[in-house]
Amino acid sequence: MTTLRLTDLEKRFGGVVASEDVNMTVPAGRITGLIGPNGAGKTTIVNMITGMLPVTGGTIHVGDTDITHAPAHEICRAGLARTFQNIRLLGETSVIDNVLIGFHRHKSSSLLSALLGLPAAGRETRALRDRAMALLDRFDLARFADYPAGGLSYGHQRKVEMARAMAAAPDFILLDEPIAGMNDVESEGLAQIFRGFAEDGKGVLLIEHNVRFVARLCSHIYVLDGGRLISEGTPDHVLNDPGVIAAYLGDAHA
Amino acid sequence: MTGAIAGYLPLFDLYLIHLGLAFSQYIVLRAGVFSLATAALAGIGAYTAGIFAVNLGMHPILGLVAGTLTGMGAAVVLSIPLARLRGVYQAIATVAFIQIVLSLNIYSESLTGGAMGLNNIPKTVGTVTLLVFAAGATYLIWALERGRIGRAFDAIRQDEAVAASLGISITRHQTLAFALSGALAGLFGGLEAYHAYALDPNQFGFHLLITVLSYVILGGRNSVAGPLLGTALLIILPELARPLAENRMIIYGIMLIVVINYLPKGVADTFLDWWRARRLGRQGGAP
Ligand SMILES: Nc1ncnc2c1ncn2[C@@H]1O[C@H](COP(=O)(O)OP(=O)(O)OP(=O)(O)O)[C@@H](O)[C@H]1O
Ligand SMILES: [Mg+2]
Repeated sequence: MTTLRLTDLEKRFGGVVASEDVNMTVPAGRITGLIGPNGAGKTTIVNMITGMLPVTGGTIHVGDTDITHAPAHEICRAGLARTFQNIRLLGETSVIDNVLIGFHRHKSSSLLSALLGLPAAGRETRALRDRAMALLDRFDLARFADYPAGGLSYGHQRKVEMARAMAAAPDFILLDEPIAGMNDVESEGLAQIFRGFAEDGKGVLLIEHNVRFVARLCSHIYVLDGGRLISEGTPDHVLNDPGVIAAYLGDAHA
Repeated sequence: MTGAIAGYLPLFDLYLIHLGLAFSQYIVLRAGVFSLATAALAGIGAYTAGIFAVNLGMHPILGLVAGTLTGMGAAVVLSIPLARLRGVYQAIATVAFIQIVLSLNIYSESLTGGAMGLNNIPKTVGTVTLLVFAAGATYLIWALERGRIGRAFDAIRQDEAVAASLGISITRHQTLAFALSGALAGLFGGLEAYHAYALDPNQFGFHLLITVLSYVILGGRNSVAGPLLGTALLIILPELARPLAENRMIIYGIMLIVVINYLPKGVADTFLDWWRARRLGRQGGAP
């Protein structure tokens, strides 16, 4: 079983320290939680893991592979996929085409046959369309397949993003506040889907402000505040940690 | 009757050549590169083909292959510094490239004929040949945009960071777009050389840049129908009345301003969007 491992990870924006001494392990087959007040540095960590922000210190490994300074598209090929806190779908493009783009790393036809529109490329596109429809079905989105993604409701757009990330068939999926703005029924549906990811053997990193939701799904939770980990462990341990309570209350009173 | 048709043949030939150049411009925009180098790349292809025929006495097929390859090679070289730039800076750099190619052309008088141009090129390309190449280029663009590469181009154009997070190499795809753009410009430049008897350096300057860009902006940047329609409209419209034809550039300028403001997606793409929305509306079940 591989793991995603962060060692002494550090990020500085000029003088601002957004992460420092972050040591985390995201094992395959489990959902790992990452919580913390606003501005704690959660998104910054995901951006560093996925190669969207240069790392200023420490290392990131998938299994034995060092991806600390790899470019974003190679990190995807190493088996990592993500969703975005501020949804980033291709708004002009249809829902199904958004998902199709997620399959990019599994191309089967050659460049030449893709260029010349040879039968192999046509077969590839048809096979991927079927798989994209199956994914949309899993997220209960099949009926929106041909609509421009930008026109869907907020909750539906989040799910399209998850379907797109899953199309890359990642070993690890990083979800940045996936249930923000959803009602209880919708988030319960997604909880089932996330458990499904873990049962399929994928490692899931779940970032959420809804602490109860995280506590229900995760066996191990990391708590971040001011760029540093202030606690980690089982939901019970973490939620009763005086340091964590102080961080959240401090945040609420700030 | 045949007389009337023959009268329009030069216009149709112009359409076929400019269609290839419009696709050259289209493909880089589609991949999210704001390059305006098509005019210079066409000039490189045209002069290569012309010199192959006039100075070296080569067969036109060899000349066209050479024009295509030099256009492609120049584009790939150009893509290296351009990969570091974005948006309007890419546009400025490519306009500078057009000026450099133009100046080199004029200075290399012994090879290119300098300001006098390259003359006495044997005419070996007619309407049928142009039609075959234009159809081929249309097919290439159509095939490309419905497959994996078209999807990658669309992703890069709309959000580079997302594209990269899905495993798409920005540099690789934009270099590919440049190579295709350069090959198309070089090929259709070469066809122009073998169709027109003579080449003039200023033929591949700012004027051609605006013309080709107008075709794509008016027609649309997101489907093969865009350049097909945009090029046709802009070649036919000024012919409807003599005074218009004499002020082609003014019309193109006014048209660009109007279209960018009121039909930013271009005529063909706006229509296709409307048609798709209508079809979805009929199916019912709005999201
Ligand atoms: N590009 C940047 N330049 C400078 N500072 C940044 C940049 N990105 C993030 N920061 C800073 O880093 C800190 C952590 O931000 P981050 O977005 O990672 O927090 P977060 O935990 O995801 O917060 P939230 O819960 O609101 O999403 C913040 O203080 C933020 O201002
Ligand atoms: Mg965040």
